[in-house]
Amino acid sequence: MRLVANLLDRARPLFDEGGRLNFFKPVFDAGDAFFFSPATATAVAPHARDPLDVKRYMTTVIIALVPATLASIYFFGLRMIPVFIVSYAAGGAVEVLFATVRKEEVNEGFLVTGLIFPLVLPPALPLWMVAVGCAFGVLIGKELFGGTGRNLFNAALVGRVFLGLAYPKAMSGAWVEPGTGLLGRATELSVDAVASATPLALAKAGEFTATTDLFFGSVLGSAGETSALAIILGGVFLVGVGVASWRTTVSFLGSFAVLSLVLHGGDVGTVGWHMLAGGVLFGAFFMATDPVTSPMTSAGKWIYGIVIGVATALIRNLTGYVEGVTFAILLGNIFAPVLDETFIAASVRRLREQKA
Amino acid sequence: MKLRGGYNVHLAGRPTNEVRDLPAPERLYLPLRSRRFTFSEIDVTDGQKVACGDEIAKDPGNFNVPLLAPYAGTVRLDALEGHVVLEDLDPAAGCSVREHDESAERSRYDPAVSEWKRRMLLELGAWQFFADAHTGTPLDPSGTPGAILVTTVHLDPHVARGDVLLRGRLDEFARGLEHLQSFLEYQPIYVAMSDIRTDFASEVREKLRGHAFVNLVAVPRRYPYGHPVALARHLGLTPSLENPVWALTTAGVLAVDRVLTTGTPAVERIVAVGGPAIDAPTHVRTVVGQPIHDLIGGHVTEKPVRVVNGGIMTGGTVGPEQKGLCAESTGLTVLVESTTRPFLGWIRPGWGSRSYSKTFASEVRPAFPEKINTALRGELRPCISCGQCVDVCPAGIMPNVIHKYIYAHDIESTIDTRVDLCFECGLCSYICPSKIDLRQQFIDAKKEIQAELEALLEEVEE
Repeated sequence: MRLVANLLDRARPLFDEGGRLNFFKPVFDAGDAFFFSPATATAVAPHARDPLDVKRYMTTVIIALVPATLASIYFFGLRMIPVFIVSYAAGGAVEVLFATVRKEEVNEGFLVTGLIFPLVLPPALPLWMVAVGCAFGVLIGKELFGGTGRNLFNAALVGRVFLGLAYPKAMSGAWVEPGTGLLGRATELSVDAVASATPLALAKAGEFTATTDLFFGSVLGSAGETSALAIILGGVFLVGVGVASWRTTVSFLGSFAVLSLVLHGGDVGTVGWHMLAGGVLFGAFFMATDPVTSPMTSAGKWIYGIVIGVATALIRNLTGYVEGVTFAILLGNIFAPVLDETFIAASVRRLREQKA
Repeated sequence: MKLRGGYNVHLAGRPTNEVRDLPAPERLYLPLRSRRFTFSEIDVTDGQKVACGDEIAKDPGNFNVPLLAPYAGTVRLDALEGHVVLEDLDPAAGCSVREHDESAERSRYDPAVSEWKRRMLLELGAWQFFADAHTGTPLDPSGTPGAILVTTVHLDPHVARGDVLLRGRLDEFARGLEHLQSFLEYQPIYVAMSDIRTDFASEVREKLRGHAFVNLVAVPRRYPYGHPVALARHLGLTPSLENPVWALTTAGVLAVDRVLTTGTPAVERIVAVGGPAIDAPTHVRTVVGQPIHDLIGGHVTEKPVRVVNGGIMTGGTVGPEQKGLCAESTGLTVLVESTTRPFLGWIRPGWGSRSYSKTFASEVRPAFPEKINTALRGELRPCISCGQCVDVCPAGIMPNVIHKYIYAHDIESTIDTRVDLCFECGLCSYICPSKIDLRQQFIDAKKEIQAELEALLEEVEE
């Protein structure tokens, strides 16, 4: 701690006004604030504040992603580690660049985006594609809207859609056979990409993967999406501490289950299977619940979850696509401002009655 | 309307039940301003000798609410900017007693009685404790109340507590309520009490149950449920210009009793001196003008500190120019100024941090008071729409939505989303993870809206 403080103090003059590296002040400040929270005091009442800040808010999401992250390394090998590093580097570079140009602080949002992004990608995707996708997602999905807190779309999903459209072959052929045995692939550095079909693709052809495999995660799929167990572990934590809205998760999963039940003629087993397969759980716990891109109002969150759940079920069952979570959530993102507008107008009507 | 939102802000430095006496001060520094009053009309001359209870100055903008001399002494007008200094004090001299008008006492329903009472309340310093329950502004002493609302619940963690003020003075409190009842025709007096079950609370309930005109309201221990606006809305009392709801605190009722029963001026104050930077937070028996240094001196554990007039949620900072306790003060809260930078604070489990959110390890601990300082505890960020402010807001409005309209300079939508319903409790600012000063933004927006409305009215009149 002393050591870090000394290093930072010695470097500070370089970045201050007139210093040689003044241009990179936001980078220095971000690093500085990473280690030592600023001592900034309150300017107006309330004179003291709650300890929660955006850094911790985002950190909580990252903690909740730990099980899914570890599962991805377990099933798809140590290659995931460079993938995470590349994703963070690319997303971070864009964030830092924009912060520098805007002369604003580096925002914590990319800490979540940088981790979530590789978890929704095929595990054997070339590293440069990971970099391009993440940079695209952060740039187009977030920075152009004004940065974290002002973006309309989930940045990680914007990057994923971009990769899906730009490199469709790689995006559907970079799967990895999950490791089996006690250590999975957690000791393997390099893995082979395979182009075989994911459980959802097989299901279209009428072949259903074992539900237990889906539950534990030993199936083909996006790196962090295969293990329902890991996702539920982290997701329940995230909803439990109140960072993810339970309304969104419940309405997404609930509406998806109900509509699937109708589409599958009341076959509970198949619906259960669909809940565990693909990105439904990951989307419901980690993607749809992003507070910035989901509605602010509670009622809006219910409808938003239903829009996503219904869209996912429809895309999966009635279109040529095998998976629909990404599109469904982006569709939900489009709806979010409209839903807010509607429910804010409703509450304005309700409030108008109140005298004072 | 149901009480909603709120948060039990549980912090270290809460004053104890004890009431401490202070040694008599050498000088008093009476500030000519307080939160609502500006005592701009000085009624004494430099060097004049005054007795306890004599009027020193009054506020012509607020029905001539007076600033009274707490002790006998000699006035110094130019000794300190913004203050009247009183020296050569004689605290033992006792206060003058007003003539008790026997004939008025007998005919309770004679309007003249209430005229006499009103004059007494105003001239002997009790009227400053009265406020419009909905707006918090001073009241016209000749007005008729639509209802009277007394709150004994003060949940800002460091302000003077109603139960402490009441201890040993229950009879006076009940008598004060009786005096107040003579201002009403048939409406009850609402007395808000904490819903806790202690022996003392049952004693108070027992005592007040004998008074048919008192309507006891049980209030859960959540800030800011004791606030007059929260209570008035909860009870369905509507705002009115003609018959406003009169709001008083425990101290106000005791002042009413003192003035109307004994005919002596209400100059004594019991205030809280607390906060995390005070070694022995407690209540203090004192008077207006008491040097701030006497109140907190010798009890500050660590420096530098910020002294707040009132509680941490809504109080104003006591600047270096203010030397004495102001007329409306309910206490002083002392906090250590934030100077240190916590190492990797955002990833620590947070065993010792109390948070409204559930993201700290302390969540699994039973409730405990946290020692807090003036740190913002994070960096200013754009709103991430986490929605905590909507959950916590006791006014039932959407602070995050209003914030976005204010940010976009959309005054019309700011009005539509009812920024006027905000009663400035400060909880949204307190819990905001993006560290946005929502309370201040709403106060400023309301002022701006008020100014625009007035400009519009002027245009119409022309």
